[in-house]
Amino acid sequence: MKRRQLLAAGCACCASVIAGRAWGQAAPDYLAPQRFQRPDLTTDEGGLWAMMDREEKALRRSPLVLRDAKLTTYVQDLACRLGAGHCPDIRIFLVRTPQFNASMAPNGMLQIWTGLLLRMENEAQLAAVIGHEIGHYLQRHSVERLRDIKSRAAAGQVLALFGLAGAIGQLAVLAGSFAYSRDHEHEADRIGAYLMHRAGYPVAESAAVWSNLLDEARAREGEEPSQSSPLFATHPVPPERRDNLAQLAKLMPGGSDGKDRYAEHTVHLLDEWLQDEIKRGQYAESLVLLSRRIAAGSAPDLMRYYRGEVHRLRGMTGDHDLAWNDYQAAAAGAVPPPPAFRGIGLVARQRGQKDEARHAFARYLDLAPDAPDAALIQSYITELSS
Amino acid sequence: MKNLLILALAMLLAACGTVRKVESGANLVGERMSIKVDGNWNHLDFPGIKPAQIWTMEGVTIDELLVYSGIRDGQIMHPDSPASEKRKDFVFRKTMQTEEIVSMLEGVLSRDGSTFKLRKLEPYPFGGRKGFRFEYERVRKIDNVQMRGVGFGAIDKEELFALVYQAPRLTFFPRHQSRIETIAKAVSIK
Repeated sequence: MKRRQLLAAGCACCASVIAGRAWGQAAPDYLAPQRFQRPDLTTDEGGLWAMMDREEKALRRSPLVLRDAKLTTYVQDLACRLGAGHCPDIRIFLVRTPQFNASMAPNGMLQIWTGLLLRMENEAQLAAVIGHEIGHYLQRHSVERLRDIKSRAAAGQVLALFGLAGAIGQLAVLAGSFAYSRDHEHEADRIGAYLMHRAGYPVAESAAVWSNLLDEARAREGEEPSQSSPLFATHPVPPERRDNLAQLAKLMPGGSDGKDRYAEHTVHLLDEWLQDEIKRGQYAESLVLLSRRIAAGSAPDLMRYYRGEVHRLRGMTGDHDLAWNDYQAAAAGAVPPPPAFRGIGLVARQRGQKDEARHAFARYLDLAPDAPDAALIQSYITELSS
Repeated sequence: MKNLLILALAMLLAACGTVRKVESGANLVGERMSIKVDGNWNHLDFPGIKPAQIWTMEGVTIDELLVYSGIRDGQIMHPDSPASEKRKDFVFRKTMQTEEIVSMLEGVLSRDGSTFKLRKLEPYPFGGRKGFRFEYERVRKIDNVQMRGVGFGAIDKEELFALVYQAPRLTFFPRHQSRIETIAKAVSIK
Protein backbone atom coordinates (compact mmCIF):
# COMPACT_ATOMS: atom_id res chain seq x y z
CA MET A 1 0.00 0.00 0.00
CA LYS A 2 2.83 2.33 0.93
CA ARG A 3 4.57 1.60 -2.36
CA ARG A 4 1.38 2.49 -4.24
CA GLN A 5 1.06 5.74 -2.36
CA LEU A 6 4.66 6.58 -3.20
CA LEU A 7 4.05 5.76 -6.86
CA ALA A 8 0.93 7.92 -6.92
CA ALA A 9 2.78 10.82 -5.31
CA GLY A 10 5.59 10.44 -7.85
CA CYS A 11 3.13 10.49 -10.73
CA ALA A 12 1.41 13.58 -9.33
CA CYS A 13 4.78 15.26 -9.07
CA CYS A 14 5.68 14.35 -12.67
CA ALA A 15 2.29 15.58 -13.84
CA SER A 16 2.88 18.95 -12.27
CA VAL A 17 6.31 19.21 -13.90
CA ILE A 18 4.84 18.27 -17.27
CA ALA A 19 2.04 20.77 -16.79
CA GLY A 20 4.62 23.39 -15.94
CA ARG A 21 6.55 22.65 -19.12
CA ALA A 22 3.36 22.74 -21.14
CA TRP A 23 2.90 26.37 -19.98
CA GLY A 24 6.35 26.99 -21.37
CA GLN A 25 5.74 25.41 -24.77
CA ALA A 26 2.25 26.45 -25.80
CA ALA A 27 0.14 29.52 -25.25
CA PRO A 28 -1.39 29.05 -21.80
CA ASP A 29 -5.06 28.60 -21.32
CA TYR A 30 -6.85 29.03 -18.06
CA LEU A 31 -10.34 28.25 -16.92
CA ALA A 32 -11.20 30.45 -13.95
CA PRO A 33 -13.35 28.95 -11.18
CA GLN A 34 -16.89 30.12 -10.55
CA ARG A 35 -17.43 33.10 -8.24
CA PHE A 36 -16.64 32.17 -4.66
CA GLN A 37 -19.33 31.82 -2.04
CA ARG A 38 -18.63 33.16 1.45
CA PRO A 39 -17.20 30.17 3.35
CA ASP A 40 -18.68 28.90 6.58
CA LEU A 41 -17.33 30.88 9.52
CA THR A 42 -16.45 27.71 11.40
CA THR A 43 -13.89 26.69 8.75
CA ASP A 44 -10.32 27.96 8.56
CA GLU A 45 -11.16 29.70 5.28
CA GLY A 46 -14.21 31.34 6.88
CA GLY A 47 -12.01 32.57 9.71
CA LEU A 48 -9.54 34.01 7.22
CA TRP A 49 -12.32 35.85 5.38
CA ALA A 50 -13.67 37.24 8.64
CA MET A 51 -10.19 38.50 9.54
CA MET A 52 -9.83 40.14 6.14
CA ASP A 53 -13.30 41.69 6.47
CA ARG A 54 -12.16 43.37 9.70
CA GLU A 55 -8.98 44.54 7.97
CA GLU A 56 -11.03 45.96 5.10
CA LYS A 57 -13.36 47.78 7.48
CA ALA A 58 -10.34 49.48 9.08
CA LEU A 59 -8.82 50.21 5.67
CA ARG A 60 -12.00 51.94 4.49
CA ARG A 61 -11.56 54.54 7.24
CA SER A 62 -7.80 54.87 6.86
CA PRO A 63 -6.47 58.33 5.96
CA LEU A 64 -3.78 56.52 3.98
CA VAL A 65 -6.28 55.39 1.34
CA LEU A 66 -6.28 57.65 -1.72
CA ARG A 67 -9.65 59.37 -2.13
CA ASP A 68 -9.14 59.99 -5.83
CA ALA A 69 -12.34 58.82 -7.47
CA LYS A 70 -11.03 59.13 -11.02
CA LEU A 71 -7.98 56.95 -10.44
CA THR A 72 -9.78 54.44 -8.23
CA THR A 73 -12.54 53.96 -10.82
CA TYR A 74 -9.93 53.59 -13.54
CA VAL A 75 -8.07 50.87 -11.62
CA GLN A 76 -11.36 49.20 -10.62
CA ASP A 77 -12.39 49.04 -14.29
CA LEU A 78 -9.02 47.58 -15.20
CA ALA A 79 -9.37 44.90 -12.51
CA CYS A 80 -12.86 44.12 -13.81
CA ARG A 81 -11.60 43.58 -17.33
CA LEU A 82 -8.98 41.17 -15.99
CA GLY A 83 -11.18 39.42 -13.43
CA ALA A 84 -14.14 39.09 -15.80
CA GLY A 85 -16.82 37.06 -13.97
CA HIS A 86 -15.22 37.81 -10.59
CA CYS A 87 -15.46 41.56 -11.11
CA PRO A 88 -18.30 42.12 -8.59
CA ASP A 89 -16.15 40.59 -5.84
CA ILE A 90 -13.03 42.72 -6.40
CA ARG A 91 -12.69 45.92 -4.35
CA ILE A 92 -9.77 48.24 -4.99
CA PHE A 93 -7.91 50.22 -2.31
CA LEU A 94 -5.07 52.49 -3.37
CA VAL A 95 -2.88 53.03 -0.32
CA ARG A 96 -0.42 55.90 0.09
CA THR A 97 2.79 54.05 0.91
CA PRO A 98 5.96 54.55 -1.14
CA GLN A 99 7.06 50.90 -1.26
CA PHE A 100 6.39 48.54 -4.19
CA ASN A 101 3.56 46.27 -3.09
CA ALA A 102 0.15 44.90 -4.02
CA SER A 103 -1.87 42.16 -2.35
CA MET A 104 -5.25 40.56 -2.75
CA ALA A 105 -7.08 39.03 0.17
CA PRO A 106 -9.31 35.96 -0.21
CA ASN A 107 -12.43 38.09 0.39
CA GLY A 108 -11.67 40.22 -2.72
CA MET A 109 -9.95 43.22 -1.09
CA LEU A 110 -7.18 44.31 -3.46
CA GLN A 111 -4.59 46.76 -2.05
CA ILE A 112 -2.17 48.58 -4.31
CA TRP A 113 0.47 50.86 -2.81
CA THR A 114 1.42 54.14 -4.43
CA GLY A 115 5.11 53.13 -4.61
CA LEU A 116 4.00 50.50 -7.10
CA LEU A 117 1.79 52.90 -9.04
CA LEU A 118 4.72 55.31 -9.32
CA ARG A 119 6.83 52.58 -10.89
CA MET A 120 4.30 51.54 -13.53
CA GLU A 121 5.13 52.94 -16.95
CA ASN A 122 1.82 52.08 -18.59
CA GLU A 123 -1.54 50.44 -18.13
CA ALA A 124 -0.24 47.06 -19.28
CA GLN A 125 2.28 46.92 -16.43
CA LEU A 126 -0.44 47.67 -13.91
CA ALA A 127 -2.58 45.00 -15.59
CA ALA A 128 0.31 42.55 -15.13
CA VAL A 129 0.43 43.22 -11.39
CA ILE A 130 -3.34 43.11 -10.91
CA GLY A 131 -3.60 40.01 -13.09
CA HIS A 132 -0.96 38.36 -10.91
CA GLU A 133 -2.89 39.21 -7.73
CA ILE A 134 -6.13 37.97 -9.25
CA GLY A 135 -4.24 34.78 -10.08
CA HIS A 136 -3.52 34.30 -6.36
CA TYR A 137 -7.15 35.03 -5.58
CA LEU A 138 -8.59 32.62 -8.14
CA GLN A 139 -6.32 29.80 -6.99
CA ARG A 140 -7.11 30.58 -3.33
CA HIS A 141 -3.40 30.64 -2.51
CA SER A 142 -3.81 32.44 0.79
CA VAL A 143 -5.95 29.62 2.15
CA GLU A 144 -3.44 27.05 0.94
CA ARG A 145 -0.66 29.09 2.51
CA LEU A 146 -2.52 29.36 5.81
CA ARG A 147 -2.91 25.59 5.90
CA ASP A 148 0.73 25.10 4.95
CA ILE A 149 1.92 27.44 7.69
CA LYS A 150 -0.26 25.71 10.25
CA SER A 151 1.06 22.28 9.35
CA ARG A 152 4.65 23.53 9.26
CA ALA A 153 4.21 25.29 12.59
CA ALA A 154 3.09 21.99 14.10
CA ALA A 155 6.10 20.24 12.57
CA GLY A 156 8.38 23.03 13.82
CA GLN A 157 7.08 22.64 17.38
CA VAL A 158 7.83 18.94 17.32
CA LEU A 159 11.30 19.53 15.86
CA ALA A 160 12.04 22.13 18.53
CA LEU A 161 12.22 19.31 21.05
CA PHE A 162 15.36 17.93 19.40
CA GLY A 163 18.03 20.51 20.18
CA LEU A 164 20.43 21.56 17.42
CA ALA A 165 19.24 18.87 15.01
CA GLY A 166 15.72 20.11 15.63
CA ALA A 167 16.74 23.71 14.95
CA ILE A 168 18.22 22.66 11.61
CA GLY A 169 14.98 20.80 10.92
CA GLN A 170 13.02 23.97 11.72
CA LEU A 171 15.11 25.88 9.19
CA ALA A 172 14.36 23.22 6.60
CA VAL A 173 10.65 23.60 7.36
CA LEU A 174 10.93 27.39 6.95
CA ALA A 175 12.82 26.99 3.66
CA GLY A 176 10.09 24.62 2.49
CA SER A 177 7.51 27.29 3.26
CA PHE A 178 9.39 29.83 1.12
CA ALA A 179 9.63 27.33 -1.75
CA TYR A 180 5.89 26.72 -1.48
CA SER A 181 5.30 30.46 -1.70
CA ARG A 182 7.56 30.73 -4.74
CA ASP A 183 5.52 28.02 -6.48
CA HIS A 184 2.42 30.12 -5.88
CA GLU A 185 4.16 33.14 -7.36
CA HIS A 186 5.05 31.21 -10.51
CA GLU A 187 1.47 30.05 -10.88
CA ALA A 188 0.07 33.55 -10.31
CA ASP A 189 2.52 34.91 -12.90
CA ARG A 190 1.28 32.46 -15.50
CA ILE A 191 -2.38 33.16 -14.77
CA GLY A 192 -1.74 36.89 -14.71
CA ALA A 193 -0.02 36.67 -18.11
CA TYR A 194 -3.00 34.83 -19.52
CA LEU A 195 -5.50 37.31 -18.09
CA MET A 196 -3.63 40.35 -19.39
CA HIS A 197 -3.25 38.77 -22.81
CA ARG A 198 -6.98 38.04 -22.90
CA ALA A 199 -7.69 41.68 -21.95
CA GLY A 200 -5.56 42.91 -24.86
CA TYR A 201 -2.27 43.86 -23.17
CA PRO A 202 1.25 42.86 -24.26
CA VAL A 203 2.59 40.22 -21.85
CA ALA A 204 6.14 41.52 -22.39
CA GLU A 205 5.21 44.40 -20.05
CA SER A 206 4.95 41.98 -17.13
CA ALA A 207 8.60 41.05 -17.68
CA ALA A 208 9.42 44.76 -17.83
CA VAL A 209 7.96 45.26 -14.33
CA TRP A 210 10.46 42.81 -12.87
CA SER A 211 13.29 43.99 -15.04
CA ASN A 212 12.81 47.55 -13.75
CA LEU A 213 12.56 46.39 -10.17
CA LEU A 214 15.71 44.37 -10.60
CA ASP A 215 17.58 47.43 -11.88
CA GLU A 216 16.56 49.35 -8.77
CA ALA A 217 17.48 46.55 -6.40
CA ARG A 218 20.89 46.14 -8.04
CA ALA A 219 21.59 49.84 -7.63
CA ARG A 220 22.06 49.23 -3.94
CA GLU A 221 25.74 49.11 -3.37
CA GLY A 222 27.24 45.62 -3.46
CA GLU A 223 24.01 43.75 -2.89
CA GLU A 224 22.25 41.17 -4.97
CA PRO A 225 18.45 41.53 -4.85
CA SER A 226 18.05 38.14 -3.18
CA GLN A 227 20.05 39.51 -0.23
CA SER A 228 18.72 43.01 -0.12
CA SER A 229 14.98 42.49 -0.01
CA PRO A 230 12.72 40.21 2.01
CA LEU A 231 10.38 40.31 -1.00
CA PHE A 232 12.72 37.99 -2.83
CA ALA A 233 12.78 35.40 -0.05
CA THR A 234 9.19 34.40 -0.76
CA HIS A 235 9.08 35.46 -4.38
CA PRO A 236 11.06 33.93 -7.26
CA VAL A 237 14.33 35.74 -7.89
CA PRO A 238 13.59 38.52 -10.43
CA PRO A 239 15.93 37.41 -13.26
CA GLU A 240 14.26 34.01 -13.27
CA ARG A 241 10.85 35.60 -13.05
CA ARG A 242 11.59 38.15 -15.74
CA ASP A 243 12.90 35.43 -18.06
CA ASN A 244 9.89 33.16 -17.50
CA LEU A 245 7.53 36.03 -18.25
CA ALA A 246 9.50 37.01 -21.32
CA GLN A 247 9.13 33.41 -22.49
CA LEU A 248 5.37 33.58 -21.97
CA ALA A 249 5.28 36.88 -23.87
CA LYS A 250 6.64 35.12 -26.96
CA LEU A 251 3.79 32.63 -26.78
CA MET A 252 1.15 35.36 -26.41
CA PRO A 253 2.13 38.20 -28.76
CA GLY A 254 0.27 41.42 -29.48
CA GLY A 255 -1.62 43.93 -27.37
CA SER A 256 -1.58 47.62 -26.61
CA ASP A 257 0.23 49.06 -23.57
CA GLY A 258 -2.17 51.98 -22.80
CA LYS A 259 0.69 54.31 -21.86
CA ASP A 260 -1.23 57.53 -22.51
CA ARG A 261 -4.30 56.40 -20.58
CA TYR A 262 -2.16 55.53 -17.57
CA ALA A 263 -0.35 58.87 -17.69
CA GLU A 264 -3.64 60.74 -17.99
CA HIS A 265 -4.99 59.13 -14.81
CA THR A 266 -1.87 59.45 -12.67
CA VAL A 267 -0.06 62.64 -13.71
CA HIS A 268 -1.79 64.83 -11.10
CA LEU A 269 -0.58 62.57 -8.28
CA LEU A 270 3.04 62.19 -9.36
CA ASP A 271 4.28 65.12 -7.28
CA GLU A 272 2.94 63.66 -4.03
CA TRP A 273 4.21 60.17 -4.85
CA LEU A 274 7.66 61.50 -5.71
CA GLN A 275 7.82 63.44 -2.44
CA ASP A 276 7.11 60.18 -0.63
CA GLU A 277 9.65 58.34 -2.75
CA ILE A 278 12.61 60.53 -1.88
CA LYS A 279 11.72 60.44 1.82
CA ARG A 280 12.59 56.74 1.74
CA GLY A 281 16.23 57.75 1.65
CA GLN A 282 17.00 54.99 -0.87
CA TYR A 283 18.74 57.40 -3.18
CA ALA A 284 20.43 54.87 -5.47
CA GLU A 285 17.10 53.20 -6.20
CA SER A 286 15.32 56.51 -6.70
CA LEU A 287 17.96 57.64 -9.18
CA VAL A 288 17.42 54.54 -11.30
CA LEU A 289 13.66 55.09 -11.24
CA LEU A 290 13.87 58.81 -12.07
CA SER A 291 16.46 58.37 -14.81
CA ARG A 292 14.29 55.72 -16.42
CA ARG A 293 11.26 58.02 -16.33
CA ILE A 294 13.26 60.94 -17.76
CA ALA A 295 14.54 58.73 -20.58
CA ALA A 296 10.95 57.67 -21.30
CA GLY A 297 9.90 61.32 -21.49
CA SER A 298 7.21 61.10 -18.83
CA ALA A 299 6.64 64.40 -16.93
CA PRO A 300 10.31 65.26 -17.60
CA ASP A 301 10.42 68.62 -15.77
CA LEU A 302 9.03 67.12 -12.57
CA MET A 303 11.29 64.07 -12.82
CA ARG A 304 14.35 66.24 -13.39
CA TYR A 305 13.49 68.40 -10.39
CA TYR A 306 13.18 65.33 -8.16
CA ARG A 307 16.39 63.81 -9.50
CA GLY A 308 18.04 67.10 -8.58
CA GLU A 309 16.56 66.78 -5.08
CA VAL A 310 17.91 63.23 -4.73
CA HIS A 311 21.40 64.37 -5.73
CA ARG A 312 21.29 67.35 -3.37
CA LEU A 313 20.07 65.28 -0.43
CA ARG A 314 22.57 62.46 -1.05
CA GLY A 315 25.35 65.04 -1.03
CA MET A 316 28.18 62.84 -2.29
CA THR A 317 31.12 64.28 -4.20
CA GLY A 318 29.86 65.85 -7.42
CA ASP A 319 26.20 65.52 -6.44
CA HIS A 320 25.64 69.26 -6.13
CA ASP A 321 26.81 69.75 -9.72
CA LEU A 322 24.45 67.05 -10.89
CA ALA A 323 21.64 68.59 -8.84
CA TRP A 324 22.40 71.99 -10.36
CA ASN A 325 22.12 70.59 -13.90
CA ASP A 326 18.79 68.93 -13.18
CA TYR A 327 17.33 71.99 -11.44
CA GLN A 328 18.37 74.18 -14.35
CA ALA A 329 16.85 71.79 -16.89
CA ALA A 330 13.62 71.57 -14.87
CA ALA A 331 13.42 75.35 -14.47
CA ALA A 332 13.88 75.81 -18.22
CA GLY A 333 11.21 73.24 -19.07
CA ALA A 334 7.72 73.74 -20.38
CA VAL A 335 6.12 73.23 -16.94
CA PRO A 336 8.80 74.25 -14.42
CA PRO A 337 8.04 73.08 -10.87
CA PRO A 338 8.43 76.11 -8.53
CA PRO A 339 10.73 74.25 -6.10
CA ALA A 340 13.27 73.83 -8.94
CA PHE A 341 14.07 77.53 -8.38
CA ARG A 342 14.50 76.91 -4.67
CA GLY A 343 16.93 74.10 -5.56
CA ILE A 344 18.94 76.48 -7.75
CA GLY A 345 18.97 78.97 -4.89
CA LEU A 346 20.16 76.43 -2.33
CA VAL A 347 23.01 75.16 -4.47
CA ALA A 348 24.01 78.69 -5.51
CA ARG A 349 23.98 79.80 -1.84
CA GLN A 350 26.31 76.98 -0.92
CA ARG A 351 28.60 77.89 -3.80
CA GLY A 352 28.66 81.51 -2.68
CA GLN A 353 26.88 82.75 -5.84
CA LYS A 354 24.87 85.34 -3.96
CA ASP A 355 23.08 87.11 -6.82
CA GLU A 356 22.09 83.91 -8.52
CA ALA A 357 20.82 82.49 -5.23
CA ARG A 358 18.82 85.61 -4.39
CA HIS A 359 17.16 85.76 -7.82
CA ALA A 360 16.27 82.06 -7.74
CA PHE A 361 14.79 82.31 -4.23
CA ALA A 362 12.76 85.37 -5.25
CA ARG A 363 11.42 83.52 -8.29
CA TYR A 364 10.46 80.58 -6.06
CA LEU A 365 8.52 82.82 -3.69
CA ASP A 366 6.81 84.55 -6.63
CA LEU A 367 5.57 81.19 -7.89
CA ALA A 368 4.83 79.66 -4.48
CA PRO A 369 4.16 82.47 -1.96
CA ASP A 370 2.40 80.09 0.44
CA ALA A 371 5.11 77.43 0.43
CA PRO A 372 5.70 75.95 3.90
CA ASP A 373 9.33 77.10 3.88
CA ALA A 374 8.55 80.65 2.66
CA ALA A 375 9.72 82.27 5.92
CA LEU A 376 13.06 80.47 5.81
CA ILE A 377 13.63 81.31 2.15
CA GLN A 378 12.75 84.95 2.83
CA SER A 379 15.39 84.96 5.58
CA TYR A 380 17.94 83.71 3.04
CA ILE A 381 17.03 86.53 0.65
CA THR A 382 17.51 89.06 3.46
CA GLU A 383 20.83 87.49 4.42
CA LEU A 384 22.03 87.46 0.80
CA SER A 385 21.02 91.10 0.31
CA SER A 386 22.91 92.36 3.33
CA MET B 1 16.35 26.56 37.20
CA LYS B 2 14.90 29.57 39.01
CA ASN B 3 18.13 31.50 38.41
CA LEU B 4 17.99 30.66 34.74
CA LEU B 5 14.43 31.97 34.50
CA ILE B 6 15.40 35.21 36.24
CA LEU B 7 18.36 35.59 33.89
CA ALA B 8 16.14 34.93 30.85
CA LEU B 9 13.60 37.49 32.09
CA ALA B 10 16.33 40.07 32.73
CA MET B 11 17.72 39.52 29.21
CA LEU B 12 14.23 39.85 27.76
CA LEU B 13 13.62 43.11 29.59
CA ALA B 14 17.04 44.41 28.58
CA ALA B 15 16.21 43.68 24.96
CA CYS B 16 12.87 45.49 25.24
CA GLY B 17 14.35 48.64 26.69
CA THR B 18 14.33 50.61 29.89
CA VAL B 19 12.20 53.40 31.33
CA ARG B 20 13.28 55.96 33.89
CA LYS B 21 11.82 59.15 35.24
CA VAL B 22 13.10 62.50 33.98
CA GLU B 23 13.58 64.83 36.92
CA SER B 24 11.94 68.26 36.88
CA GLY B 25 14.41 71.07 36.31
CA ALA B 26 17.50 71.15 34.12
CA ASN B 27 18.65 67.86 32.59
CA LEU B 28 21.96 67.53 30.82
CA VAL B 29 21.57 65.42 27.68
CA GLY B 30 24.81 64.26 26.17
CA GLU B 31 27.74 66.50 26.94
CA ARG B 32 26.46 69.90 25.87
CA MET B 33 22.67 70.27 25.76
CA SER B 34 20.65 71.19 28.82
CA ILE B 35 16.86 70.80 28.76
CA LYS B 36 14.69 72.28 31.47
CA VAL B 37 11.40 70.42 31.99
CA ASP B 38 8.53 70.32 34.40
CA GLY B 39 5.84 67.67 34.72
CA ASN B 40 5.93 63.91 34.50
CA TRP B 41 8.37 62.99 31.79
CA ASN B 42 9.81 59.51 31.26
CA HIS B 43 12.91 58.58 29.32
CA LEU B 44 12.71 55.39 27.26
CA ASP B 45 15.67 53.59 25.87
CA PHE B 46 15.36 50.74 23.40
CA PRO B 47 17.24 49.36 20.41
CA GLY B 48 16.96 51.22 17.12
CA ILE B 49 16.29 54.68 18.55
CA LYS B 50 19.89 55.87 18.92
CA PRO B 51 21.36 58.42 18.57
CA ALA B 52 18.15 60.05 19.83
CA GLN B 53 16.57 59.72 23.23
CA ILE B 54 12.81 59.33 23.53
CA TRP B 55 10.96 61.16 26.27
CA THR B 56 7.23 60.85 26.79
CA MET B 57 4.51 62.21 29.05
CA GLU B 58 1.49 60.18 28.01
CA GLY B 59 3.22 56.95 26.95
CA VAL B 60 5.28 56.26 23.88
CA THR B 61 2.37 55.11 21.72
CA ILE B 62 0.75 58.50 22.32
CA ASP B 63 3.35 61.22 22.48
CA GLU B 64 7.10 61.35 22.08
CA LEU B 65 9.82 63.93 22.33
CA LEU B 66 12.87 62.93 20.32
CA VAL B 67 16.01 64.49 21.75
CA TYR B 68 19.15 64.75 19.62
CA SER B 69 22.24 66.04 21.34
CA GLY B 70 25.68 66.39 19.81
CA ILE B 71 25.07 64.30 16.68
CA ARG B 72 28.39 64.15 14.86
CA ASP B 73 29.32 64.20 11.19
CA GLY B 74 28.68 60.78 9.61
CA GLN B 75 26.48 59.51 12.42
CA ILE B 76 23.63 57.25 11.23
CA MET B 77 20.15 58.21 12.38
CA HIS B 78 18.03 55.49 13.98
CA PRO B 79 19.47 52.41 12.32
CA ASP B 80 16.54 50.04 12.80
CA SER B 81 18.48 47.00 11.64
CA PRO B 82 22.05 45.99 10.75
CA ALA B 83 20.98 46.19 7.08
CA SER B 84 19.88 49.82 7.35
CA GLU B 85 23.06 50.65 9.27
CA LYS B 86 25.05 49.18 6.41
CA ARG B 87 22.97 51.07 3.84
CA LYS B 88 23.36 54.33 5.81
CA ASP B 89 19.82 55.42 4.93
CA PHE B 90 19.91 58.65 6.93
CA VAL B 91 23.24 60.13 7.91
CA PHE B 92 23.95 63.51 9.48
CA ARG B 93 26.57 65.58 7.69
CA LYS B 94 28.09 68.66 9.29
CA THR B 95 27.68 70.62 6.05
CA MET B 96 23.90 70.10 5.91
CA GLN B 97 21.72 73.13 5.34
CA THR B 98 18.49 73.55 7.28
CA GLU B 99 16.34 72.02 4.50
CA GLU B 100 18.57 68.98 4.39
CA ILE B 101 18.35 68.43 8.13
CA VAL B 102 14.57 68.68 8.02
CA SER B 103 14.48 66.30 5.02
CA MET B 104 16.60 63.85 6.99
CA LEU B 105 14.18 64.03 9.93
CA GLU B 106 11.24 63.66 7.52
CA GLY B 107 12.86 60.49 6.22
CA VAL B 108 13.40 59.15 9.72
CA LEU B 109 9.78 59.82 10.66
CA SER B 110 8.34 58.25 7.52
CA ARG B 111 10.62 55.23 7.15
CA ASP B 112 7.87 53.00 8.58
CA GLY B 113 5.53 53.96 5.74
CA SER B 114 3.95 56.86 7.64
CA THR B 115 3.18 59.99 5.64
CA PHE B 116 4.81 63.31 6.50
CA LYS B 117 3.63 66.73 5.37
CA LEU B 118 5.68 69.78 6.19
CA ARG B 119 3.43 72.64 7.27
CA LYS B 120 5.93 75.33 8.21
CA LEU B 121 9.70 75.85 8.26
CA GLU B 122 11.15 79.05 9.64
CA PRO B 123 14.28 80.51 11.23
CA TYR B 124 14.34 80.14 15.02
CA PRO B 125 16.97 80.81 17.68
CA PHE B 126 17.61 77.46 19.36
CA GLY B 127 19.94 77.07 22.31
CA GLY B 128 21.23 80.55 21.63
CA ARG B 129 22.26 79.53 18.11
CA LYS B 130 20.88 80.42 14.70
CA GLY B 131 18.49 77.53 14.17
CA PHE B 132 15.17 76.52 12.77
CA ARG B 133 11.65 75.48 13.73
CA PHE B 134 9.25 73.31 11.75
CA GLU B 135 5.70 72.00 12.02
CA TYR B 136 4.32 68.92 10.35
CA GLU B 137 1.46 66.46 10.03
CA ARG B 138 1.96 62.74 9.96
CA VAL B 139 -0.30 59.73 9.50
CA ARG B 140 1.22 56.89 11.47
CA LYS B 141 1.17 53.80 9.27
CA ILE B 142 0.87 51.21 12.01
CA ASP B 143 -2.46 52.45 13.38
CA ASN B 144 -3.55 55.26 10.97
CA VAL B 145 -3.46 57.84 13.78
CA GLN B 146 -3.22 61.42 12.53
CA MET B 147 -0.41 63.16 14.37
CA ARG B 148 0.90 66.69 14.56
CA GLY B 149 4.47 67.56 15.30
CA VAL B 150 6.84 70.41 15.94
CA GLY B 151 10.62 70.40 15.75
CA PHE B 152 13.51 72.71 16.63
CA GLY B 153 17.19 72.46 15.86
CA ALA B 154 20.57 74.05 15.25
CA ILE B 155 24.08 73.05 14.32
CA ASP B 156 26.83 74.12 16.68
CA LYS B 157 30.51 73.25 16.36
CA GLU B 158 29.60 70.83 13.56
CA GLU B 159 27.20 68.90 15.81
CA LEU B 160 23.41 68.70 15.53
CA PHE B 161 21.11 69.53 18.43
CA ALA B 162 17.37 69.09 17.94
CA LEU B 163 14.03 68.38 19.59
CA VAL B 164 11.08 66.84 17.77
CA TYR B 165 7.73 66.39 19.50
CA GLN B 166 4.70 64.59 18.09
CA ALA B 167 1.30 63.49 19.38
CA PRO B 168 -2.21 62.79 18.03
CA ARG B 169 -3.52 65.97 16.47
CA LEU B 170 -6.72 65.91 18.52
CA THR B 171 -6.40 66.46 22.27
CA PHE B 172 -2.81 65.45 22.98
CA PHE B 173 -0.84 67.73 20.65
CA PRO B 174 -2.83 70.88 21.56
CA ARG B 175 -2.61 69.90 25.23
CA HIS B 176 1.19 69.86 25.27
CA GLN B 177 2.26 72.21 22.47
CA SER B 178 2.80 75.28 24.65
CA ARG B 179 4.79 73.20 27.15
CA ILE B 180 7.05 72.01 24.30
CA GLU B 181 7.52 75.55 22.98
CA THR B 182 8.58 76.60 26.49
CA ILE B 183 11.06 73.71 26.71
CA ALA B 184 12.53 74.58 23.29
CA LYS B 185 12.93 78.23 24.25
CA ALA B 186 14.82 77.27 27.41
CA VAL B 187 17.28 74.85 25.79
CA SER B 188 20.89 75.79 26.29
CA ILE B 189 23.94 74.48 24.45
CA LYS B 190 27.33 74.71 26.17
